[in-house]
Amino acid sequence: MQQILYLIRKEFKQIFRTREMVAIIFGMPLIQLVILGFTITNEVKNVHLIIGDRDNSRISREIVRAFEHTDRFNIIKYETDIARITENIQDWKAQMAIIIPHNFGRDIERYKIPEIQLLIDGLDGNTAGVALGYAQNIIQQTAKAIQIPEPILAGLAGQTLVELEDRMWYNLNLDNAQYMIPGIVVVLLTIISMMLSAMSLVKEKEIGTLEQLMVSPLKRHQLLFGKIIPFLILTFIELTIVMTFARIIFSININGSLILLGFLSFLYLFTTLGLGVFISAITGTQQEAMFISWFFLVFMLLMSGFFIPIENMPALLQHITYLNPMRYILIIIRDIIQKGTVLSFLLKEVVPMTIYGVLIFILAVINFHKRAA
Amino acid sequence: METDQIAVHTEALTRRFGNFTAVKNASISVSAGEIFGFLGANGAGKTTMIRMLCGLLKPTSGSATVAGFDVYRQSEQIKRNIGYMSQKFSLYDDLTLSENIEFYGGIYNMSVEMIEQRKNNLLRELGIESEAEKLTRELPLGYKQRLALGCALLHDPPILFLDEPTSGVDPRARRSFWNLIYQTSRKGKTIFVTTHFMDEAEYCHRLSIMRDGEIIALGPPSGLKHKHGKSSMQDVFISIVNGERPV
Amino acid sequence: MNKRIIAIARKEFLHIIHDIRSLVIIFVMPVIMLVLFGYALNLEIKNIDLAVFDYSKTPLSRKLINQFDANKYFTVSYQNGSPKSIDSLFLSKRARAAIIIDQNFAKKFEHSQQTPIQLVIDASDPNAASFIKIYCNGVINDFNETHNANLHLPFEVKQRIWYNPDMRSAYFFVPGLIALILIMISALLTSITITREKEMGTMEQILVSPVRPNEIIIGKVLPYILLAFLDGLMILLLGVLIFDVPFQGSYLLLIFLSLIFLVTALSFGLMISTLVSTQQVAMMLALSATLLPTVMLSGFIFPLNSMPVFLQYLSYLVPAKYYITIIRGVMLKGNTLWQLIMPALFLLILSAVMLRNALHRFNLNLEK
Repeated sequence: MQQILYLIRKEFKQIFRTREMVAIIFGMPLIQLVILGFTITNEVKNVHLIIGDRDNSRISREIVRAFEHTDRFNIIKYETDIARITENIQDWKAQMAIIIPHNFGRDIERYKIPEIQLLIDGLDGNTAGVALGYAQNIIQQTAKAIQIPEPILAGLAGQTLVELEDRMWYNLNLDNAQYMIPGIVVVLLTIISMMLSAMSLVKEKEIGTLEQLMVSPLKRHQLLFGKIIPFLILTFIELTIVMTFARIIFSININGSLILLGFLSFLYLFTTLGLGVFISAITGTQQEAMFISWFFLVFMLLMSGFFIPIENMPALLQHITYLNPMRYILIIIRDIIQKGTVLSFLLKEVVPMTIYGVLIFILAVINFHKRAA
Repeated sequence: METDQIAVHTEALTRRFGNFTAVKNASISVSAGEIFGFLGANGAGKTTMIRMLCGLLKPTSGSATVAGFDVYRQSEQIKRNIGYMSQKFSLYDDLTLSENIEFYGGIYNMSVEMIEQRKNNLLRELGIESEAEKLTRELPLGYKQRLALGCALLHDPPILFLDEPTSGVDPRARRSFWNLIYQTSRKGKTIFVTTHFMDEAEYCHRLSIMRDGEIIALGPPSGLKHKHGKSSMQDVFISIVNGERPV
Repeated sequence: MNKRIIAIARKEFLHIIHDIRSLVIIFVMPVIMLVLFGYALNLEIKNIDLAVFDYSKTPLSRKLINQFDANKYFTVSYQNGSPKSIDSLFLSKRARAAIIIDQNFAKKFEHSQQTPIQLVIDASDPNAASFIKIYCNGVINDFNETHNANLHLPFEVKQRIWYNPDMRSAYFFVPGLIALILIMISALLTSITITREKEMGTMEQILVSPVRPNEIIIGKVLPYILLAFLDGLMILLLGVLIFDVPFQGSYLLLIFLSLIFLVTALSFGLMISTLVSTQQVAMMLALSATLLPTVMLSGFIFPLNSMPVFLQYLSYLVPAKYYITIIRGVMLKGNTLWQLIMPALFLLILSAVMLRNALHRFNLNLEK
C-alpha cells in the first residue's frame, strides 16, 4: 500500500506543476457554471412579438396591455399590415404575431364570436409551443377579467365553478435554478473527471513510463488505484468548491443531508473516474482516448434525463438509460437538494450506481491486465 | 547470485503475433555476471525477446527462467529481481531528479532511509547533486541516460535489462555509459543488452545475432570474428546477415 | 497546388486514416445525436402520476375524477390514506401531483359560486410543475364548461404555425448540428493536431525543412476541411432524407457562408494551439472555448432571448450564433443573402479578425 502512496504523490506533483492544468481544472468549471447556469433553461421569456390591433376597442386594448405587462413577451412592433408582419417573421425579427381583427369589440357584443389570430414561427418547436401556451393563457385570463357586456354577465349568475387552489411543494417560487444548477454541477464534474482520467494513463503509455511501471513489482490494481485516488480527491474538492459557488451565485438551498450528498457524489466520481481509466487502458494515444471519452460523455449526457426528461423518451431508449450512472446521480442530487430525501428512498438509484462503480473498476483492471501481456 | 549460476535461460522461446513470428525458437543461457548482448537490425526481434524475459509479454511457446523464476508462472518474483531501462529512458520529465529517484525507490518498496541513501549516492556518482531539484526535462541527454540507469539499479537487482540504452546519445557519452555497465557487471550483476551499434557489440562478453526472429549466431565477439574470418563485428554482422558461411 | 503543402496534407490525412476509432466517432456520434434529438427531444410533459384523495365520494366527485382519468396526460391513482402521505408519495415518485376533494364538495357545489379543491404539485422541476398546473386547469375548465352553459369565451383564438407546422424538432436541430460538427472538427481537431506535433517534438523537424509556416497551416488544415465538409454533408443528407428537413434556399449561398464559418473555426483552433503546450490542455481549452459557447450561446438549443442580458451580449462574440441563423435561414426559410446580410457581415468581420490574430500568433510562436 505504501507503493500506492508514492503513485499518488507523483500524480499530484505532476498536476500541480502544470499551471495551465490547474487553471483549467479549477477555473474552467466555474466559468462554465456561470454560463451554463444562466443559459440552460426551459423557460421561455422575451419572445419577440408583433401586435396587430386592427380594432382598437376597449376590449382589444385590454388584451394588448396584458401582453405589454408581461416579461414573457417583448413587443417589438405594432403593425397591422400582414405583408410586413410576414416579412418580419421571415427576417428573424419577430417570432410571433397577434392579429386582432377589425370590429372585434363590436362582434363580441353581438355574439358573433370573432377570431384572434396567433401567427408563430414554428421552427423552434419547443419554444413555439410554450409561447403559444402562454399567449393563450394570457388572452383567456384577460377575457375573464374584463368587463363583458351585461347580457353575457347575466347569464353567468347562478353558475357554479370549480376552482383549483394550487400549492407548489419543494420549490415555492418555481425557481428554475434550484432544479437545473445541481444537474449542471454534475455534468461539469463528470466531464472533467472523465477527461482527466482518460488522458492520464494513456499519456504514460505514450511517453514510455507505463512500461517502466509494469516492469516493476507493482500490481495492476495498485497502479489503477494510484491513478484514480488522486483524481478522486481532486475532483471531490472541486465538486465542493463548485457547489459552494453555485449556492452563492444562484441562491440554492440544500434541503437534505450534506453528508449523504457528499458520500454519494464520491461514489459517483469513483464510477466516472473508473470509466475514464478504463478508456485509458484500452486506447493507445491521447487523441483516441479523448475521442472515445467524448463519445461516452455525449451519450451519457443525452441519456441522463438532463436535457430530455426520461419519461419522454421512446421506451427502448428509456431502458438504455438504466445503464447510465449519470441518470442515477442526477435523480439523487436533485432529490437530496430540493426535497431533502433520505437514503431509504434513494436505494433504487444508489444500489445500481454502486454496482456500476465496482464493475467498471474490475473491468478496467481486467482489461489493463490483458493489454499488458 | 554466484558467478557460475545461470541468470537467464531460455529453450525454444517463441512469440507469435497472429501470422507474424517475432521470435522463433530462441535458446540461450546467460551466466551470472555476464554482459550478454543482442545484436540485430530493427525488427529482428530483440525488443520482443527482452519484453518476454521482463514479464511484459507472455511467450507463445517454449520455456524461460529469469533469476531462476519461470516467466509464465512467476513473473511477479522476476520483476522484483530485475532492473529495466528502455530506449525512451522512462523518466518523468515534469518531475525533478530527486522526485524521480524517490518515486522509483518507493515503487520497489524500499525504505525511506534506503531511498535517501541510494539517491544521494547516485547523484554524487553522476556529479549532479546540485541539480537534484531541477526538472528532469532540463537535464542534458547524457545525464538523463545515466540517471535512468541509476534508477533501474536503485533496488539492487541481480539482473539488468537494457533495451537500446544508448539511442540518441553522442559517442563519448556512449563510452562512459559502457564504463558504467562494466562497473555494474564487475559487481556481479548480469546485464542483458540489445543494441544495433556494432562497436558496442565488441564490449559484450557474449552476444547473439538475431535476424528475422531467429538467433543465427551466438558466442563471444572474439570467437565470432575468428569463426567468420573478419576483424570487426561490423564485418561479421554483414557477412552473417548476407548468409555467408563461416570459414 | 504547392508540392510541400500537398506533402503535409497527405501526411495529415494518413494520421487521420490510421486513427480509425476517432474517425468512426467523428461520423457516428453526430448521427446518434441526430437520431436522439430528432426523435426523442420532446419537452412536453406526459404520463403525470396524479394521486387523488376523494373524501366526498359522490357521483359529482367521481365525475370530476373521471375527467382527469380520461385525459391523456394524467394517470390517476386512487388513494385511501390521509393527505400526510403525499410527501412520501412525492419522495418515492409514485405521484407528481395530488388532488384533494374534501367531503363537503358536492354540497358546496350546489350552493356556492366557487367550490375549491386542492391541488398539490411536486414543483422540484418547476417547468414540469407549470405544465401540470396548466393541464389541471384545462381539465377543470372543461368540467366547468359541461356544467355551465354559456361559459365559453366570447371569441376564438386560432393559431397558425409557420415553417414547421408539425413542430418537428429535427427541423430545428439539424442545422444546428451541422454547425456543431463544423466547429468540432475544425477547431477541436486542428488545435489538437498542431499541439501534438509540438508535444512530440516533430514540429521542429518540419520547420527545418524549406516549408514555410503558412504552408504548414494550410497543409495541416486541408484534410480537416474536407472531413468537416463530408461530415456536415452527411448529416444534411440524413436530415433531409430521414427527417424531411426542407432545403428551400440556395446551395451556393450556404456553401459560401459555410466556408467563412469554417475559416473562423479553424482560426480558433489555430489560436488555441499557440496558447498551449500539451494535447490535454488543448483539448480542454478547445472544448470550453468552442464547443461550450457553440452549444449554449448560439441559439442551438436554448433560445437566446430567454437569457440574461449580459449573456446575450456575450453571444455576439460567438461565430456559431451568426452561422446558425444563416444556416437555418437558408435551409428552412429560403432566406436570401440580403435578408441575412447582418449575420453574414458579422461573421465575416469576426472571421477576418480571428484569422489575422491567429496567424500572427502562430508566427510569433514559431520564433520561440
